[in-house]
Amino acid sequence: MENLSLTVNGEHITAEINPGTTLQKFLYDNLGLTGTKEGCGEGLCGCCTVRVDGKAVKSCIILALQARGKNVQTIEGLAEGEKLDLLQEAFLDNGAFQCGYCTPGMIMAGKAHLDENPKPSEKDVRHALSGNLCRCTGYHKIVKAILSVDQKKVMDFKK
Amino acid sequence: METNNKYEYIGKSERNVNGIEKVTGAAKYCSDMELSRMLYGKVKRSPYPHARIISIDTSKAKELPGVKVVIVGDEKTCPHRFGAGVADEYVLARDKVLYVGDAVAAVAAETEDIAQDAVDLIEVEYEELEPVFDGDQAFSKNPPAILHEDLKSYKTIRSVPPRFDENRPNVFNYFRIRRNNAEEAFKEADIVLENRFEVAMIHHVQMEPHCGVAKVDGTGRLIVWGTTSKPYGMHKDISESRGMASSAVRVIVPTHVGGAFGGREPKAEQIAASLVLAQKGHPKRPVKMRFTREEQLSTTTTRARYIVEIKTGAKKDGTLVANAMRTILVGGAYAGTGYLTARNGSFGPAANYKIPNFSLDAYGVYTNQRMAGAFRGFGNAETLWGMESNMDMLAEALNIDPLEFRLMNCIDEGDLNAFQEKMHSVGAKECLQAAARDIEWGKKPEKPKEPHLKMGKGIALGNKYSLVPTASACFIKVHPDGLVELRTSTVELGQGSNTIFSQMISEEFKIPVSMVRVLNPDTDITPFDLGTASSRSTFNMGNAIRKACADAKKQLFELAATELGVAEDVLETADSRVFVKDFPEKSLHIKDLFIPMVIGGYTLKEGAEILGKATYYLPGVMPDPETGASERPASFYMFVAQAAEVEVDTQTGKIRVTKMVTANDCGKAINPMMVEGQQDGGVLSMGIGSALLEEVITDNGVMLNPQFADYKIPTTLDCPDCDNYKSAIIETAHREGPWGAKGVGEGTMVSSAPAIANAIYDAIGIRFHEIPITPEKVLRALKEKNQESLG
Repeated sequence: MENLSLTVNGEHITAEINPGTTLQKFLYDNLGLTGTKEGCGEGLCGCCTVRVDGKAVKSCIILALQARGKNVQTIEGLAEGEKLDLLQEAFLDNGAFQCGYCTPGMIMAGKAHLDENPKPSEKDVRHALSGNLCRCTGYHKIVKAILSVDQKKVMDFKK
Repeated sequence: METNNKYEYIGKSERNVNGIEKVTGAAKYCSDMELSRMLYGKVKRSPYPHARIISIDTSKAKELPGVKVVIVGDEKTCPHRFGAGVADEYVLARDKVLYVGDAVAAVAAETEDIAQDAVDLIEVEYEELEPVFDGDQAFSKNPPAILHEDLKSYKTIRSVPPRFDENRPNVFNYFRIRRNNAEEAFKEADIVLENRFEVAMIHHVQMEPHCGVAKVDGTGRLIVWGTTSKPYGMHKDISESRGMASSAVRVIVPTHVGGAFGGREPKAEQIAASLVLAQKGHPKRPVKMRFTREEQLSTTTTRARYIVEIKTGAKKDGTLVANAMRTILVGGAYAGTGYLTARNGSFGPAANYKIPNFSLDAYGVYTNQRMAGAFRGFGNAETLWGMESNMDMLAEALNIDPLEFRLMNCIDEGDLNAFQEKMHSVGAKECLQAAARDIEWGKKPEKPKEPHLKMGKGIALGNKYSLVPTASACFIKVHPDGLVELRTSTVELGQGSNTIFSQMISEEFKIPVSMVRVLNPDTDITPFDLGTASSRSTFNMGNAIRKACADAKKQLFELAATELGVAEDVLETADSRVFVKDFPEKSLHIKDLFIPMVIGGYTLKEGAEILGKATYYLPGVMPDPETGASERPASFYMFVAQAAEVEVDTQTGKIRVTKMVTANDCGKAINPMMVEGQQDGGVLSMGIGSALLEEVITDNGVMLNPQFADYKIPTTLDCPDCDNYKSAIIETAHREGPWGAKGVGEGTMVSSAPAIANAIYDAIGIRFHEIPITPEKVLRALKEKNQESLG
């Protein structure tokens, strides 16, 4: 067993874990953050995407210990209390999800990209999300939702 | 995103009522369920496609610490076979295994890892038998293997029974249509084209893998949760396969299910139930059976390989005179809902065009692959792939524009289809015109940047029926605080049924969507529904909801009439109040109809609750067994036209869909944003995927690509850019539909593959007869074409 200390959604966490535990399993099983779903366990579908120090990471293919001392954000940590993140609102307004199983990963991947690239082109967004699979939506409304956040920000700036 | 209409809630793009849970990670799926003292199940699967089970040794598995239950297929664990139409499957194989992955034993243990270790310790001795994979061979009168020797003795369903074939032992269903005389009529045709088309086996790839959780409650009742789209179908399968009284089983579906697309036969749930019931003594521990992604992709139901032989004849002026088809659904080891797919895949070709002479023979055959069940489109994407490719070839032979040819012949209101049914609510022409407009039909694609890139455009017409006989029932409860609750067994699979049902109730009660609640399916609480399938929910459950709302409102008005001293028929309701239509100030709040009681709660003087109830039942008319003739073989037909623009790289064989458009006739869009959502997923994910990328590749029955690295579904980069994709909603109201609505989901991919293939032909002059059209196939075909032109 190994000691692990890290920050998850702003909360400092210490735990004793099996060193083979993936970050996804740690978040899902140990912390009960079931929004971070294991879709394939091979880093191929993106369902388990979380942010580690801001960057989008497929949490099923890194060990929890690799996040030691780092700042992890999951889908559960995105809203501020009742106030949803603009990207979450954009997903709701655009109908950018159906079954919802890939949605936490999509939103976290999209959020990580928007923070790095606040005014992305459609091509940027499509590339940033190309490792996140969705079977319901054909991605059309997901891409539109992410692009719409940028427009909202621009509008706020103009005000 | 709003269509013209006079309603307050219908036709509006309301946000998804389950959306907040989904975007915040709060949504719980069956695979997220945890119960105290839960055990975890794993399955021992056959490595052979066809073999007799000689012996199973589970002793080592049972000795492994942490293992609680080990079961094999025997008289005790699985006394009866089950199946949607043909009871041909045991929960665990008893005598023979029929495909690679067939379940032979199962284990429940303290952890998934222990259960998997135990499964690996189970030793099974087999005697290998010759398998059959090929559809034509399986169909033959002397097939290399017969899967179900006792097929004729199997129990079959009474409603829409399957029809076997005396001479073909692997046929599990046969259906035929004969309208006038196609063979004679071909003599009158100026051009007759006969071709064979196939589609490869593909998988639904629902993002949530299949999962079942089972437990026994204190009274000994079996409770099963699952990822099913048909709670009552699963209820029947579980009780019948065990010979249990129907009332001894309770099925619950969580509010969130991670997609279905037809592919949710309840195998994981069945095994979970067996692992609970096999435990000795009391209390029995709950069991969760969650398939891994690899198990899901390699053992759960598929869209089968489909063989479509089609012969179509036309006059020089383009008038279609006759069409003859033979289709074979290459159906896997067990029939499942595939027994119905094999039959109902006929409906698309039967209702696309005005063809006075029509014959069709549709078969489903067993092969040594996993079960082929339902898949979005239910056989019609496959049969229309053949029909719409052949139509394009015919258009070229006649020297008529493919769009014009379709517009000339497409079926219209009042025309007879091949069942000799008079068509109603037909948007075929409008769909074709919208798709042609959006793809700029007739305008040449932009000149490609490089000479080795070739561009082309293609169009295709399709339709999807919804089945009969059909029934949906629901309860509408009006709470004292005015909230209206719907109890329905329709499953919210992501398609948005909870939202559109809420909008329907909002419209009936004139209350905001936030004042409506939809309960999740639970056979103890929510009444019968045939299933969340066949694009039937909006129409069938929608009609049941309208009727149940009327019933509940009648009860409300009876009570209010007494309170207000007026007649019932002058009353109306809005904003949780009941008022006199002509004097809205004469009103009362719904809560004032209830009597607050000492200690707490509210009561009515009689009648217990305001509880509306209704069934919408549409029996239809069973087609004549010889001719298929029927006045009502389906509930309704949804029409669709799609068009594609493609770029073919002649150096690499890679095809890029540069533009894609779809126009879908859904009767009336209750929620346009959600109709678009169905269109997007059907066209962009499944349409493009099935046409260009997806194939279950097998070797001697073993799936070689059961991971996302090798089974390719479209990513963001495979779909056209937002500006190059257009979806049009066509509203051809149906006289029986709620607010005119029909459905949408299944009609969304039935013409994608032929539209894309027709565009490829336009680009490079090569006609493909099988999907997916992969770069390898393109390069091979280009090479052959070059050699021909040289030689």
